[in-house]
Parts: sequence; structure tokens; C-alpha cells
Amino acid sequence: MRCIAIATLLLLSLSLKAGDADLTPKIPPGYKPDGANDEKGMWLELEEYERAIQRSPLLVKDPYINAYVRDVTCRVTGEYCADLRIYVIRNPYFNASMTANGIVQVWTGLLLRVSSEDELAAVLGHELAHYTQLHTMDRLRRTTKAATSGSIFDMGLLVLTGVSVPVGQLTALASLMAYSRGDESEADLLGAKFMADAGYDPHAAADLWKKIVDEDANAVAKGTEPGLFSKTHPSSADRIVELNRFVDENFPEATADPANKQSHLDMLNAYYLMLMEDQIDTNRFGRTEVLLDRHRQMGVQEELVHFFHGEMYRQRDEAGDMEFAIKAYTLAAQGDNPVPDAYRNLGYIYLKQDNLPQAQYNFRQYLELEPDADDRAMIEFYLNED
Amino acid sequence: MVRKSFVLTAAMLLSGCVAYSAVAPGTIDYSGLKVTSAQAWNVAPGVAGGALRKDSLQWTQDGLLLDRIVFIPAVADGETLFRVSSGADALPSFQADMLPNEIEEIVESSIVKLFAQGEVSVDTQNLRPHKFGETQGVLFDMQMAVSDGPDYSGITGAFVNGGKLYVIIYLGAQPYYFDKHKDEALAIIRGARL
Repeated sequence: MRCIAIATLLLLSLSLKAGDADLTPKIPPGYKPDGANDEKGMWLELEEYERAIQRSPLLVKDPYINAYVRDVTCRVTGEYCADLRIYVIRNPYFNASMTANGIVQVWTGLLLRVSSEDELAAVLGHELAHYTQLHTMDRLRRTTKAATSGSIFDMGLLVLTGVSVPVGQLTALASLMAYSRGDESEADLLGAKFMADAGYDPHAAADLWKKIVDEDANAVAKGTEPGLFSKTHPSSADRIVELNRFVDENFPEATADPANKQSHLDMLNAYYLMLMEDQIDTNRFGRTEVLLDRHRQMGVQEELVHFFHGEMYRQRDEAGDMEFAIKAYTLAAQGDNPVPDAYRNLGYIYLKQDNLPQAQYNFRQYLELEPDADDRAMIEFYLNED
Repeated sequence: MVRKSFVLTAAMLLSGCVAYSAVAPGTIDYSGLKVTSAQAWNVAPGVAGGALRKDSLQWTQDGLLLDRIVFIPAVADGETLFRVSSGADALPSFQADMLPNEIEEIVESSIVKLFAQGEVSVDTQNLRPHKFGETQGVLFDMQMAVSDGPDYSGITGAFVNGGKLYVIIYLGAQPYYFDKHKDEALAIIRGARL
């Protein structure tokens, strides 16, 4: 009862704050810190961090993906776009960020999770709001106070290499710290306003939050950890309610342009193999299942979706999963756009089931569709068995 | 716990308590895995191994960031290729009935999972059969990109014997270092046997 009372009070206070929020950007386009202050020093550190991003092998250089993300970013950020440098990072987790000096990072895991340009714009509008309200600078200041030795990011490298490379420690730590609830609320509402001003449907912001909540719920049920964006941007049902109320009151006429769904679908279909292979590698089967169901509803090429359903079932390997995998691979192999790897993986499943004739039939189909397969020698090894 | 380990590791490295040792050319036996080298290698001290299993070892010529051969012998059914640290994503476990494609996947996925939030991207290719002595196994190539680090290329050899998995991974930074030691590393991997 006490928890309900506290939650009610919190909700009321948030509603009041949302109603009173001043949604005027605190910095104009072209903003740069002046004078000798800590802000200028932090911008200098961020420049070093940006050079590390530019050197990163995980930077996606594909012109199509970069142009797509840049177009959406510039549309939603308007005149601020000239102050931003946009980097697409190959990382299967859901995240986007904008630093105080205008470094925008969009992870490929975000592209895999949004259903339209509008939803991508929702995340970018939200991050722009953190930027224009100087939340990013406030967070960096808090991190400076809290910083201790070591870097979370360097830990990853330490695990494999045994050697720590300190690059952008402070900025890396800051990116893992959550914004305050008040800052998040302000960014939600101002972000929705940026979207509407750019002609995007601001309802997409709440839709996306609901998807994040659903994905997290499914992952928790499978015993996996929450994603990075969820850690730094705590999501909750009341946040969705607040956003919906704000949008309904201020932008009642806003509707989604179907072309914004199609453009995102075109990008996903073109890069689906790369994006989903990274997701499969995370072994987060609960999340993967949610994503695949969503992609099927969105209209992603069905053979590709079937193939990754097969991958998920085969690698999860719980009771009955192999039969599900066989069904999914068969659909992927026999559709109008057959996925060659589906035949290969069917072959391996039948091999494991000691069904050599079926295995060899599928291996032959694989090599017929993919004569230059890089694993041809391995497949021929099994074709020569009797 | 991770931070504590890091501080301890850093302190030991800085204080010079740990040292590399040399392994002379010839045949060495690591937990039943016999490997033969034509030249001397440096054996990394255990503390530099990070998440390596207790019976795993690393050799290097120019330093672990630039090149390394990782020996992971005798992984039993249900065990992981690397040590699982508290709070980290669970690493995939080896199953004794795994086929070549699954062994390729467990190596790839284990490396990816060591970096909890996608700080590494690993792609494997050219899966091919190879006999390690009398035991049929596989070889495959690897491309690895690490956030804040260089690109790496790699070659992995793996086989299952007596229900246990034996893995040897060579990684070299690109450009230059991978090619510098590739021939010797490949000869060590191809020549491994029980």
C-alpha cells in the first residue's frame, strides 16, 4: 500500500512537472562554449573521444546506411544538424547518444529495433533534446565527480587481451550513466516536439517505448540482462502514458506517413543478414524472438526472417527446438528468394540426427545455390561420406 | 569483482611481480595437447590471460595486443571456452556432440560474449576439414574488430577427442602482425595432436 501511495505521488509530481516544462531549447544552433570554463575543457576531451570513434573498426562505412541515418537525423534536428557529426557503429544492442559537442552515435542494434523513420526520429529527437537542454554536459560533470580509476569499456578489452588501453575513459563512463528522471521527462516531451516540427509522427515515440518495454519483459522472462539503452534510459509504463497525453494534447492531427515505414523497410531488407547475424551472436534468444516477430509483421523479406528463426531455434536447442528449426529453415529454403545457408544448416541438423541421405541432399542444394561457398571443402567432406 | 580483478592485475603488472617466460623450439605437451614450434615464443603470465581457463595458455612474439596463440585444451561437455565471471553474460557451453559448424559458432560467440555490450565484432569463414594426428577436426579463419583497438585476423584449429574439445586460436593485428607470424602459427595449429 505504501509503495502504491509513493508511486501515485511520484506520478502526480511528474505530471505536474510535464505540464510546467519549459520546452525551449537552452542553446541555439551553432552554439560553442566561450570563456575559460569546465565546459570548454570537456569539449576538448570529447574531441579526443571523437578521434577514437573515427579510428574504430566498428564504424560502419557503408554509404547507404550512413546516408539513411544522416537524412533522418538532419530532418529531425533541423538547423542543429550543421553542429552534429553522425557515426553509425556496428553494435547489436539498442543505443543512440549525442554528446555535448555534437557527436551522434547510432548503433546498428537500434536500426534493427525501430519500425519506421518516425521511430528512429523519436530516438534522435530525444537525444537532441538532451543536447539542447545541456543534459549531456550535466551528466559529464556528474561523471567527473564520480569517476574512479579504470574504464568500463577498457574492461572489455582487458578480458581478452589482458592489457588495458585507456581511451576516452570519462566519456565512456558518462555514456553508461543514467540521466535523471526529470531530464528524461523533459527530453521525451521536447523530443516529441522536434519530431512534430520536422513532420514526423510524434506518436511513434510512445510506440517505440512500448516496444522497448515489451522486449525487456521478454528478455527478463528468459533470464537475460537488460540492454544498455534500458540501463541508461529507464523505461516505464507511466512514461508512455505521459508521452501519449502530451502528444494527444499538442499534436492531435499528427499522423504517420507510410513512406517512412517503407524507407526503413528497404534499408532493413538490404542489410538484414549483417544486422541479424550480429544479433544472433548475442545469444539473447528472448530478445531475438521478439525482434523476429516484429520483423515479420513489418514485412521484412519472409525467407530471411524464417532463416533467422531457424538460427535461433537451432542455437537455443531446447526441447522441440530442432523440429521448429527444420520447419523454419525449410520455409527459408523453399520460398521465392531461397536462402542458401538454410539448406546447409538443414544438412547439419540431419547429419546430427544420423540421417546422412537427407543431410547430403541439403548439402548438395546448398552448393548448387552457392557454388563459391567459403566452406565448400567442409561440405564436400560430408558429401564424400557413406 | 571485475574492477577488483582489474586493479589487482594492473598493480601486479606495474610492480613487475609477473613475468613472461620463454618456450624453446620443440614439442610441448599442454594437458595432453602436443604442439610443435620451430622457433622460440614468449609464454604470457597467467595474470595477463584475463578470462582464460586455468589450463589455457597464450604465446606471443611481439606482445599480446599484436599477436597471440591461445591454447585451450580439454574442454569437457558442459564447460565454457573461457572463464565465466560473475555478472557477465553467460558464455555458451561446449556439447560433446557438436558438429563443425557449431564449433565454429561457439568460438565466435564466446569471443563476442566476453565483451558484454557488443564491443567486438567477430566474423568467421573458410570452415574446412583438417586431421590433427588421427583425429578429424576443423580449421577456420576469423576477422575481429575491437572497439578502441586494431583489426585482427585469425586462424582457429579445433577438434573433439574423447568428448573433449581442443582449440587453438591465432590472432594477429592488421596490418602487418598477422602476416608476420601467420606461417609459423598455422604450422603450430596444423601440427597439433594428442
